[in-house]
Amino acid sequence: MLYNLAQGPLVWVAFILFVAGSVYQVTRLLALTRKTEAHRWGRTPDAGPLSGTRPADGLSGRWTARLRLSIAGTQPLTIGVTVIFHTLLFLVPLFLLAHNILVDEAWGFSLFAVREKLSDYLTWLFLACALFFLLRRMLLARVRALSSFQDYYILFLAAAPFASGFLAYHQIFDYRMVITLHMLLGELMLVSIPFTRIAHMFLFFVLRFLVAHEYSLGSGRRVWR
Amino acid sequence: MLDRALTEVAASGKTTAVDTAEIKHMLDRHKAKIKISLRACVHCSLCAESCFLYTSHHRDPRYMPAYKFIHSTGLLYKKKGKVDRACLEKIRDIVWQDCVLCTRCYCICGIDIPGLISLARSICRSQGVYPDFTVSGER
Repeated sequence: MLYNLAQGPLVWVAFILFVAGSVYQVTRLLALTRKTEAHRWGRTPDAGPLSGTRPADGLSGRWTARLRLSIAGTQPLTIGVTVIFHTLLFLVPLFLLAHNILVDEAWGFSLFAVREKLSDYLTWLFLACALFFLLRRMLLARVRALSSFQDYYILFLAAAPFASGFLAYHQIFDYRMVITLHMLLGELMLVSIPFTRIAHMFLFFVLRFLVAHEYSLGSGRRVWR
Repeated sequence: MLDRALTEVAASGKTTAVDTAEIKHMLDRHKAKIKISLRACVHCSLCAESCFLYTSHHRDPRYMPAYKFIHSTGLLYKKKGKVDRACLEKIRDIVWQDCVLCTRCYCICGIDIPGLISLARSICRSQGVYPDFTVSGER
């Protein structure tokens, strides 16, 4: 009963809420900002906060210096883990064989799939990254000082579908129960994206690329109304 | 010395009453920005090293830019402006004593932390809560 619900109507409900919620959030954000003519924080390519370089450094030297002066330079481990974590969060489910077989059966087309063994290793890697974030949040005073229940909740939402998918693939515990849980957790994650801090998935791009401020990436020309 | 000077509140025209409606009005004018910023902050603490006060205070988490904006403008927003003078005085210490508005803080998600701390300063100032740098009696 729950299995049928999770693999049928709830998938649609989750996708519709995810897409509609995300579109609503982004359009609302765009409505709250307006485009300006002038660049408020206009700067020449070599000016700005990361400009501690000299022409004599050469192109590669400048980029190394920029990297060293950025967060990647001060927190290389966390940045490395976060890049792997976020990349795998998208790529593993998209190119998983089992998911693509389901999509192919339903719609007659699918993305390419990577070898199951590789997906398995990448899931391990993803879960290790999630564990890193959990330990970081629990053990580092600076992160603990900012943490709330929702921070743990969104980490759980990201990791739980991977953990349950892993258990289902290896048929650990009762398969039907685990796969139902896997689908429900995946759906819960999708629904939560626009309405929790996971919204940083698109808020990041809006705030960094569209809104004008000192650290805009690209040519952010929007300001708050 | 500085700490002492900062904790001595300025004697101003406004004394004990806090005009919560005025605070609410000021917050409402920036509601979108505050709301989105609080939502976008993933509490990662990666902004910490960009604050020289954080690094020079033995990495005390209270000096992290995110901590400062969450406990000033963020707090005012969550309480919808319904705060008492004691709360404003705590916020005053955060936004003046723990932050010099050098605007060097870097948020990976693009949150305008200096703008939000600046707003908290404006709100405190509107209620006559601000640090007094003059020596008492020399006004």
